[in-house]
Parts: sequence; C-alpha cells; structure tokens
Amino acid sequence: MSTAIPRLSGGVPLLGHLLELRRRPTELLQRCRDECGEIGELRLAGQTLVMLYGEAAQEAFFRAPDEQLDQAAAYPFMKPVFGPGVVFDATPEQRKQALRNRSLRDQAMRGHAEGIARETERMIAGWGDAGSVDLLDFFAELTIYTSSAALIGSEFREELDAELVPIFRDLERGTDAIAYVNPYLPLPSFRKRDRARRRLVALLQGIFERREAAGRKTQDLFQILRGIRNPDGSPRYDVDTITGMFISLMFAGHHTTSTTSSWALLELCRHPDWMKRVTEELDALYADGRDVSYQALREIPQLENVLKETLRLHPPLILLMRKVAQPFSYKEWSVEPGKMVGVSIATSNRDPALFRDPERFDPSRFEPGREEDRSGFGYIPFGAGRHRCVGAAFAMMQLKAIFSLLLRRYEFELAQPPASYHSDHSKMVVQLAQPCRVRYRRRAASAAAAA
Amino acid sequence: MKVVVDLDLCQGHGVCASEAPEVFAVDPAESRVVVLDESPPEALRTRVEAAVRYCPTRALRLTEA
Repeated sequence: MSTAIPRLSGGVPLLGHLLELRRRPTELLQRCRDECGEIGELRLAGQTLVMLYGEAAQEAFFRAPDEQLDQAAAYPFMKPVFGPGVVFDATPEQRKQALRNRSLRDQAMRGHAEGIARETERMIAGWGDAGSVDLLDFFAELTIYTSSAALIGSEFREELDAELVPIFRDLERGTDAIAYVNPYLPLPSFRKRDRARRRLVALLQGIFERREAAGRKTQDLFQILRGIRNPDGSPRYDVDTITGMFISLMFAGHHTTSTTSSWALLELCRHPDWMKRVTEELDALYADGRDVSYQALREIPQLENVLKETLRLHPPLILLMRKVAQPFSYKEWSVEPGKMVGVSIATSNRDPALFRDPERFDPSRFEPGREEDRSGFGYIPFGAGRHRCVGAAFAMMQLKAIFSLLLRRYEFELAQPPASYHSDHSKMVVQLAQPCRVRYRRRAASAAAAA
Repeated sequence: MKVVVDLDLCQGHGVCASEAPEVFAVDPAESRVVVLDESPPEALRTRVEAAVRYCPTRALRLTEA
C-alpha cells in the first residue's frame, strides 16, 4: 500500500488554503515544500492538490501522459476566458492538432522579428528625448500588437486598435483562483471578464466578416484555419471556434511576454553592470548597421542570459497543475483519480540545490561551465516535457527583438524606490503592480547613429 | 556524435527537421521525429546542435559515443 502524503498545516474550513493561494501564493508553495518535503497535500475549496517538489518528482509530473494527468480540468479559471471548443475544452487530439501552429514554425519565425521591431518603433515614435513611462501600460500595449501581428497576421493587427488593451486586461484580471469554488461566481472581476470576452468575439467577428465579404485572401492564421477542410469538404473550424483559438493564442503570448519585458528592464536598471554589458553587446552586434533580423536574434548571449535570469526570478506563471485521470504514483506515494497534482515553478526556480545563491540576480549562472539550467526539469519557467511552452522560442525571439531596439535608442533608470516594484499575485495571471514607472532618455548621437 | 531522442517528449513540432533536414524528418502520421542519421558526420555538427537547442520540448540530446 502507499504511504500517506504529508498534509500542509493551516487552511480554513471549506476553502482550505485557497485564500492563502490568492494572497501569498509563492509563500504558500514554498511553505508546503519546507514543511512537507518532496510531496505535500493542500486543499483548494473542494479540491485536493498534491504538490511535487524537486527535479525527480517534477520529472515524473512532466513525463506523465495526458491520459494519466489531464491539463484541461486543472484550470477552471481559464475555461470562461477561452470559451467552448478551445484549448482546455478540446480533446487531447484536437489540442495536439491546434498546437502544431504554423506561425510558431521556424520558417515563419524569420518574418516575425522584423514585425516586432516595427511595432516597437511605432510605440516609441512619440517618446521624444526624455520622459517616463509606466511599464505595465507600455508593454501590455506593445505585446498586444506584436503577438497579434506575429501569431495571427499583420493585416489583422492593422484592424485592431488600443481597445484590445483593456479587453485583455479584463480577461487576465478575470483569472481569480476563487474559480476553484466556481468560475461563474457573481464577482465584479468575473463579470468584467465575460463582458470583455463578448466584446472581443464581436470585434473579431466583424473583422472576419468584412474580410470574407471582400473576398480578400491573406496568408495568415485566420485564412489557414479557415482553409482546413473536413473529409467532406466543409470547413473544419467555424468563425466562433477560430475566435476562441485566437484568444487562447494571444492569451498565452501576451501577459507572459509583457510581464517578462517589464521585469527584465527593471532588473537591468537595478543592475547597471548588466545594463552596460547588454548595451555594449547590442551596440557591437548592430555596429554594421544591420537590421533586427532573425539570424541576429538567435545569438545574443548576454541579453539572453539576462532574460533567462528574469524568468527564473519572476516567472509569469508560478504554478502548473494537472487533474489525475488514472492513478499517479511517485516513489512510495500514489495519488488517486480526482485529485490534482501540481508543480511550483516559483519554488523550483529558487531551489538552492539547483541554483547557487538563488535569491541573487546573476545571469552568469547560465554561462558555459555553470549552466545551472542544464537539467530540463529544474529550471522550468516554460514548463517542461511534452507540454513545454510551444511559444518559448518565439517568446525569447520577441524579447530579444524588443530589447535590441529599446536599449539602443534609450537609456533607462528607475523612477521609484527599487523595492517599490513588485508583482501582483492576487490573480493566477501574475502582473506587475502599478505604479511601475521608469524614466528614459535618448542616447547620445554616436550611439543612436549606430542604432 | 550520436543523436538520442526521448520519444516521451517529442510532439513532432519539426524544428529539428528544418534545422538539419539531412538528419531529422517528421512522420506526419505519428507526429514524431524520425532520425535519418543517428551518427551524423562532423560537418553537420553546428546544425545538429541547433536542432537540439531549439527543440521546443527538449526531446533531443547529443552524445559523443
């Protein structure tokens, strides 16, 4: 028989540890590791969540097949955002099909780099010589445009306006963990979420209909998806389902990149030695007047290590979960169907067994010789295994393109006390808490000429 | 060098096949990688290393056996 799984102390009747998860999720997940060790059980309303810690336990989690550990049922807060027939509401086979998204293929990626640089140029066109900017507002808007242009299509992006920014903010703010009680509770954040989704569906459908009526053919994701036929010749996906797919794609690529961009810029401002290193690296790379091209973006080691270190310390997702569909065992423990199992990205990314001096911002930990991300199941900002983020390469390319431009044009410094910048963990989608302003100043002419 | 595939992890994204088509292909029916040359020549090292590096699910490894 299996050994009893240690239970985490605390928690209140009915809701268990749910309120603590909403208030201080990183602390809760660390406390579970400290108290229980490799495996520990906590309660989220009516759900039991078994947390797995350490590389070996995490590897077991990431290697389990979908039939055993189901992703769909573990994220009730996402279902009202994506809608029916999409991502977590689709069968594993449908999901697999949809995920083989061509816009993330290597060939397509080459075109995205230029588009991202162009969007960044547009966003900073009105900046002038000096000023200040709120990082959440700036990067949330920029990444709406870059994600929609790259993942969906540039024509599509031109039909969008800034209205998408508050819509996505409401969708993202609608990911309250209270959804474990019921994702349709009459809460203001859930009402806003549903209103935002309805508005987005209407906006996208308008775009689709205008396009279909005009008979325009554009080789973008919409056209590709519309072109997929059933064996009888009818279209496989209706406009409604495609709308849902767009939301899921944009959702996956938006808040994650936006938050990571903000934290990367903040960490660079907090660590002038790294700011100097990265700026010099970029100046040298682009010294010959080359454009921000895909090839150039593949190898920017110092910047890449800064981004990886940012993702280690400030992962945009902190907790990954699955619902147990068939009995799941790890060492002497087994978890029966109906329970959930989870892995804490936040805890693993600061595991002292994997990272020397884990609280310190030190991008050199990824340099050849140290390579503290060597094992694929310990450094997990993008998850791991078969469900590792399909957009990881795209995200890194996008971040490199954005910073290639920003850091060559402007210098940045904090506009607030360094400790005042922090993440807001009250929703499952982590965002930078506002205010989060930085000051910028156009770089001297010599550097700008190179840029 | 020798190419090792972890088929538990491979989802058939095909990045390896575009990095090093001499060494990798994707079986569309299975959506899994097919290794065409398990011990590729040294001349292909840079491209095989890129395939390993850019694999979305980290399903590839290189050994020096």
